Amino acid sequence: MKKIDPQLRRVLREFSKSYLLKREDAFAGMDFEELRTELAEIKDRALSKCRELCAQFEAKAREKGAKVHHAANGAEANRLVHSILKGHGAEFLVKSKSMVSEETRLNEYLFRKGIEVRETDLGEWIMQLAGEPPTHMVLPAIHLTRKDVAQIFSRRLGKEVPDDIPALVEVARDELRREISRAGAGLTGANALIAENGSIMLVTNEGNGRIVSIMPPLRIVLASIEKVVPATKDALLLLKVLPRNATGQKITSYVSFIAPSPQQDLHLILLDNHRSEILADPLFREILRCIKCSACLNVCPVYQMVGGKRYAYIYMGGIGTLLTAWIHGLGESAELADFCLGCHRCEAFCATKIRIADLVIALRERLNREAGKPFWKRVAFDGVLAHPALTQVLFSSGRASRRVVAREKGFARNLPPPLGRYDRFRALPSPAPKSLTQRVRETLPQEQAGGRAARIVLFGGCLVEHFYPEVGLDALRVLTRLGYDARPAEPCCCGFPAANSGFRSSALKTFRRLMEGLEGAEAVLTLCPTCTTMLIRLGPDLMRTEKARNLAQKVVPFSRFLLEREKSRLQGLLSSRPLANSVTYHDSCHHKHVLGASRESREILEIVLGKKLQEMDEPDACCGFAGSFSISHPEVSESLLEGKLESIRKAEAQVVALDCPGCLLQIRGGCERKKENIEVKHTAQVLAERLCQKR
Amino acid sequence: MVSVRCDAEFIAKATAAGGEIVRLSDLGNALAFALDFLKQQDIKAVAFAPDVPLPSAGTETWPLLKPRSREDYLAAGAGLVRADYGVSSTGTLVHLDRSADEKIVWTLPPLCLCLLDSRRIVRDLDDISAVLSSHLSEAAFGEPQVSLVTGPSRTTDIECRLTLGVHGPGRLVILLHDGQAS
Repeated sequence: MKKIDPQLRRVLREFSKSYLLKREDAFAGMDFEELRTELAEIKDRALSKCRELCAQFEAKAREKGAKVHHAANGAEANRLVHSILKGHGAEFLVKSKSMVSEETRLNEYLFRKGIEVRETDLGEWIMQLAGEPPTHMVLPAIHLTRKDVAQIFSRRLGKEVPDDIPALVEVARDELRREISRAGAGLTGANALIAENGSIMLVTNEGNGRIVSIMPPLRIVLASIEKVVPATKDALLLLKVLPRNATGQKITSYVSFIAPSPQQDLHLILLDNHRSEILADPLFREILRCIKCSACLNVCPVYQMVGGKRYAYIYMGGIGTLLTAWIHGLGESAELADFCLGCHRCEAFCATKIRIADLVIALRERLNREAGKPFWKRVAFDGVLAHPALTQVLFSSGRASRRVVAREKGFARNLPPPLGRYDRFRALPSPAPKSLTQRVRETLPQEQAGGRAARIVLFGGCLVEHFYPEVGLDALRVLTRLGYDARPAEPCCCGFPAANSGFRSSALKTFRRLMEGLEGAEAVLTLCPTCTTMLIRLGPDLMRTEKARNLAQKVVPFSRFLLEREKSRLQGLLSSRPLANSVTYHDSCHHKHVLGASRESREILEIVLGKKLQEMDEPDACCGFAGSFSISHPEVSESLLEGKLESIRKAEAQVVALDCPGCLLQIRGGCERKKENIEVKHTAQVLAERLCQKR
Repeated sequence: MVSVRCDAEFIAKATAAGGEIVRLSDLGNALAFALDFLKQQDIKAVAFAPDVPLPSAGTETWPLLKPRSREDYLAAGAGLVRADYGVSSTGTLVHLDRSADEKIVWTLPPLCLCLLDSRRIVRDLDDISAVLSSHLSEAAFGEPQVSLVTGPSRTTDIECRLTLGVHGPGRLVILLHDGQAS
């Protein structure tokens, strides 16, 4: 099992924190939602006319004296660059940062052909000297310390270099200046290709873009076709968003708009390399809106743990997974696709509203179809969860096995060896003695349980049904107290675990069955945000039926339902027992990023608690559960959980409230392992305690 | 085009980006200040961009660089340039380049002295978007380009720590004046 590098994790987490603060500042007084919606629309329109715009760009550029070339794929692009260099007798090329040139592996190709290549972006140059690929799209050497850099410089430049950052930068400046002045050619990428005047926009902080495009006599620009926009004002909008979202700067130190002219020896290479195929795919096409700002990387909990050495092929992170699948091949993206937590945090920050997490799920489906399904997932999703009867048998035997797999305080003990490794860092719950459905039949008289005709249906999901029935019972108790006619749904898996892993047909089997069971309900209240995500988003997306969409309209998270309907009544119903404990709140990923329900949960909790919540650091940091993720990547799951427990400890709260049974499992299990005396409760449990008589 | 508020905002934002602003009453004073400053800094060779309005007489005392090739610019201790516009919301200098030499003077020397007429400060890039667009569309002459410069050259590539002066100047001094003396 791979280990998490604590030094790397610390650097990436610190960077993420400072990035978020700077970014907030940079967007102050602006409406990010409005800006990115506008940018997404401009990009979409440009993509729909990509061929036309590229033709216009080419015509304008040629008119002004540029030579324009087309490369169908990476190999052709490399050959073109080489032949242009050879045609001019240039044997030494300096480059400003270009992800596209990484994509085509230009440097390796030119090296094989005897051309010397020098990266001039400081981070890229460091990685070039180190002989390794960049690990971040904007900060290529983010994972290295100054000592690492000093060692690399000393080794490769043949002189002792102090590990003092200003000194290192000065060494770089002097070395690179010398190189740039002797270079026969300079190559840059482009942040935008402007069709109306055949110019390119280039942004850098170092100034190397400028230097590389003015010093050498021969200039080459290598850009992929989706970079084209119609007009200068579109490029200016891109300029408004890119630096702010990438590094939290209002603008980079240098922005150059370079128009061709006969005095320049300028070659523009427009690269396709599967862009046309992506354009033709109605589902994945939106990945071409990407402006390479790296905001998604900066907020990705997994990227922050493992960095770009693991979570990358050439392109990194969630968007990298998608680009890799198309550009470098489905097989190359398989391992990366597994890394996505499905927390949707990237989507909240994406400059062009790409549905990265949703598309990773769609990618997993394709991978299953074409590359085959992993065995244990086939058993779990096609086998067990797709067959409700089988699921029931499994959990009943789980309950029955309590004597052997001893149950203590609700945790499983003495798990047999193959399962044992999964509860090392957090105690796993054992199935409850009786499921929610069984408890409801016994505990609440038929009238109170609402009967089959009840208007409100409570859907707790599998974890509540089999492991935490008390959460479901508390929710029903609260609803009854408030006078609602509510019943629990027939137990059935919503299908999310299967859908999330790309097992579409198995997912839809159980989803359809769940839909049948929910027919006739006026409202479906949910206790698990992941099940809710399936009901309102993933399920309808997969089914594409009116029925699924109609059902989605009736689904509402439990806390939101109560806040919307009962806000004014709650005060009067509160138990008079004083509340001694301080309570903090954990934002579950789906609850916050998909349902946008965090504010409501906090509001209702503060009403019933009669006081403010004690906020923890980064309350929306993922706890690391993410379903099967904690099984396939236990080291990342453990690391994330550790971070969460640390935040809870620092907040000095006795109780953690949350809205997700999965997070409940993870955090409670973690507290048990670490012997933390902290209570972890679902919001429904807190509400029941405060609103209902002590039972 | 400009209001006093824009001036103040420009100064604040340009300073926050690492630039140094000197406020002068007119172009003449700005040039005099520049000469003084260069002497104080002991700069032996200063490159000047072709569009800098040097006084017609009295430049014998200036340590002017006479470059024969691009490489000669590497010897310049400072560059004297002129911005066409300032953008106050970001503290940005805008230059409508017409020749490669202009860009070289802005970029190569470690110290950049930039003249900016305060009457040419606008609030936002959007306010001059048409100007930029038309400059880029102009029939080819020299090398029509647009440069936006905000603060000195910088990097955070090592340990995310900020260092100024990588490929471009480590020091940017903006001489903000109110035009020709009447």
